Amino acid sequence: MYNYPPVVAKIANDYLERVKSQLRLVPVREQNEFLREIESHLYEAYQQTPGEDDVARILAVLRNLGEPAEVVSDRLPGAMVRSGTSRNLPLYVVGGILIALFGLPLGFGGLGVLAGLLAAATGVLIGFYAATGSFLLVGSLVTLMGLTRFLTPHLFDRMVDLGFIQLGGPVGEFLDQFSPADQGLLMMLVGCIFLGLGLGMLWLGKHLLRGLRFLFSMLFDRIRRLAQVVRHKWNPQNREAPDMSRQNPKPAMHAASSVD
Amino acid sequence: MGVLYGERHYGYSLVRVLSERGSISLKEGTVYPILARLDRDGLVGSEWVESDQGPPRKYYALTASGRQLFDELSQELDLLVSLVQQKWKTPEQPEYSGKRLVVQKG
Repeated sequence: MYNYPPVVAKIANDYLERVKSQLRLVPVREQNEFLREIESHLYEAYQQTPGEDDVARILAVLRNLGEPAEVVSDRLPGAMVRSGTSRNLPLYVVGGILIALFGLPLGFGGLGVLAGLLAAATGVLIGFYAATGSFLLVGSLVTLMGLTRFLTPHLFDRMVDLGFIQLGGPVGEFLDQFSPADQGLLMMLVGCIFLGLGLGMLWLGKHLLRGLRFLFSMLFDRIRRLAQVVRHKWNPQNREAPDMSRQNPKPAMHAASSVD
Repeated sequence: MGVLYGERHYGYSLVRVLSERGSISLKEGTVYPILARLDRDGLVGSEWVESDQGPPRKYYALTASGRQLFDELSQELDLLVSLVQQKWKTPEQPEYSGKRLVVQKG
């Protein structure tokens, strides 16, 4: 029923594609609904815009409607919030910057940079968890040693004789100034500090993981998008008239099906 | 919200009404973020209606809470307007009519 000339359909579809790319973090159902609404607006406005030149009419419609970023502006913050439970974490800020930097240009360049940054972030995360594990291990062992020294000093001495425990150097000299019970208490105190640090880092890591998961999901989404574009371009059936319905039929412009 | 108070509209018709009634010059696309915000706040409801002439239209209408808020805002605006008008109607202050002091030299 609502047909456009092919050139108008191409311009309108291109605009809808741009709107869709702005909505990539919005759930698919919301995307479809919003695209249908914009599609409806384009049709109504196009019908109401007088003029002989079809291209000039559709361009006037798009000019009045505004840039896709303006049209979807109120839907993006919600999507950002949905991708994580907190907005204040540094990694989400990084995510926002990445979207701003690489969200607009399409292609492998931005994807490569994004993948590189993610690889670096993954390396940092692995190092972070290694340090966390070390803190927890050291904290547990030192606390256990302190308990042993405090409760059974003879067993501790025996283990030192056997070489299981080696506390030489400045640490040993420092501890020798105290009684065995005080030595045990000191070691437990240091052990608890290490354990506390380890547990704190573990808690922080939970948030880091969430942020990294968000960035990875963004990367995979972009890869999927590029694959679709490449597949679409290489498919000869799709070269004549681009149609948004290849993935989600609902928001498609019902265009190019007939020529005026 | 005032336009949606009496009748429901879809995006484009809302833009037309706003332009015609209020002589508001606005980018048409800015209506959709506003509608989305009102929808999210539960002030408007929406439904899709098939159209004989083209793609389905998404109609918006004020909800009960939207009407209530609009009524409250209208009352506040009326009050504000009446206050401003009262200020304008305040009669001019009479000139100071105290005794004039005449200083005689000499």
